[in-house]
Amino acid sequence: MSTQAPAPAARRSASAGLQQPAWTSTGGRAPSTGAVVRATLLIAGALLVVTPVVWAAVSSFKTQEELAQTPPTLWPNHPTADNYTSGLQAFDFVHFLTNSVIVTVFATVLTLAVNSMAAYALSKYNFRGRTVLFLITLSTIMIPLQVILLPVYQVISSFGMVNSLWGLIIPPAATPTGVFLLRQYMLTLPDEMIEAARIDGAGEFKIFLRIILPLSRPALAVVAIFSVIWRWNDFLWPLIVAQDESVQTLPVAIARFASQQAIPFNQILAVSVVTIIPIIVIFLFLQRHIIAGLAQGSIK
Amino acid sequence: MSVLAPDRARGLSAWMRGKTLAPYLFVLPNMVIFGVFTIWPAFNGFNLSFYDSSNGRTYRPVGTGNYSNILSDSQFWGVVQHTVLFTLGFVLLSTVLATALALMLNAQRRGRGALSAAYFLPVLISPVVVGIIWKAALDRTTGLVNEVLSAIGLGSPGWLVDSSLSLISIILVGTWIHLGFYAMILISGLQSIDTSLYEAARMDGASVWQSVRLITLPLLRPTLMVVIILATIAGFQAFDFVYTLTGGGPVGATTLIIQYIYENAFSYPIQYGLASAAAVILFVVVFAVTFVNYAIGRRSESI
Repeated sequence: MSTQAPAPAARRSASAGLQQPAWTSTGGRAPSTGAVVRATLLIAGALLVVTPVVWAAVSSFKTQEELAQTPPTLWPNHPTADNYTSGLQAFDFVHFLTNSVIVTVFATVLTLAVNSMAAYALSKYNFRGRTVLFLITLSTIMIPLQVILLPVYQVISSFGMVNSLWGLIIPPAATPTGVFLLRQYMLTLPDEMIEAARIDGAGEFKIFLRIILPLSRPALAVVAIFSVIWRWNDFLWPLIVAQDESVQTLPVAIARFASQQAIPFNQILAVSVVTIIPIIVIFLFLQRHIIAGLAQGSIK
Repeated sequence: MSVLAPDRARGLSAWMRGKTLAPYLFVLPNMVIFGVFTIWPAFNGFNLSFYDSSNGRTYRPVGTGNYSNILSDSQFWGVVQHTVLFTLGFVLLSTVLATALALMLNAQRRGRGALSAAYFLPVLISPVVVGIIWKAALDRTTGLVNEVLSAIGLGSPGWLVDSSLSLISIILVGTWIHLGFYAMILISGLQSIDTSLYEAARMDGASVWQSVRLITLPLLRPTLMVVIILATIAGFQAFDFVYTLTGGGPVGATTLIIQYIYENAFSYPIQYGLASAAAVILFVVVFAVTFVNYAIGRRSESI
């Protein structure tokens, strides 16, 4: 690897701010000042973002006395897992985790099912009322659950769905953004395929199931990722629906746990750390898809 | 159309073979959920704002009484003030930082995956837990932030107990949560810009700053609009992380509109009237702000 003659400084720093790779690990060129400054800023920022989480995780191994100590210690003097054992005794983690998993999985499957069917009809059929239905769908983007909290609560309470997992799952399931995203994607699928399948005698539902859904996988993945992150972390709706401990999801249960005066803060931290772990593990496996998918999804 | 065939196995597809009925059946489940849990409650919510109730079971009509009550409620105006200040600060800070981050991250090659993951981390953490983590980190005497600040001689401000600082604290934490997400959206906007434009600018001797200002930012405008609209909506709807971070305190200094609605509707003393009037007002405001943002975005696009 021979070192190339450095290009004029202006040119190099110009390319640094743009799309061209300023320097690569394989290139022999020395990094420009701009690139060094940029990398430094990026790393410093990343540390700033991650540090509080790491610090909280480390602090969850401190004893209660050490946690209340002034000035605080950075690293636990006598690391202990007691917070975890006692915290998980006072907090029925497995129970709330089960509720969270049930709600997230069922809600996401339901959202994918109803949204994709609606999107298919709105993108591939000509029928009376299509435009009106599509406009109604779009307009509900402007009505987030937060502003209709009370009237929706009345509806589920008249259905007897307060304190039931269905009350958590169903009301927010028909997302307008999901329909919109899937419809935009399905519009790009060729009509000829559907016609050919019809000529071969396939039923409408079979065409949807066997042809449209498999081809829409990228868009379905985006909707699924959105749904999982949102449902897993959702707080306000579960807070008012799941008043009873038996149906509470992790965020609601933690908030309740954290608001109890009798619970020492080190246990609250320990329980919080435990709840972060599952979603981070999933993220590390699917990082590329998640980031790209979310970004794409929000623009469309 | 034909009725459901008795042969169940082939029944559904035979039934749906009729092309005219199929689309209606496909949209039905989604529209039923929409209708029952969004559209009907939306109209009902408007209707509800003309009634009052103190227990959620018996209602009495009060005309526009809820609106005149809420408009003369000093607590409500405090909440409006905090919500507007919070949203302004949050939208401004998170958009500016996310743009800077997106520009830098997009140009970065080495270690980009790890850096993106780090900035994206807060998006994954439940906002309730975010509140707990920052409550620990911002604690006046035992928190990480003041430990660092006092080490470099900046004293130990009461981030969560000083009422003028607490609003700044929730703006910072809100930005911390959303920064990575907004930056990722902006990066995918950046990547759709034709790179030959930069080549041409470089040939003409443009500096980095010039090409950012004259090429990147104008072409990024539609994506920036998306981020600003998302941030505005997120700002007006902020509730969860504030709930565990400050609980709306000290003395209501960080109580935002959603918490006001929630508390009036679901915790004692219940004042349904105030809650439903506030919800209608919030709806109108969010709708108007989004519409104005969108209109401005559209107009500047056509220039």
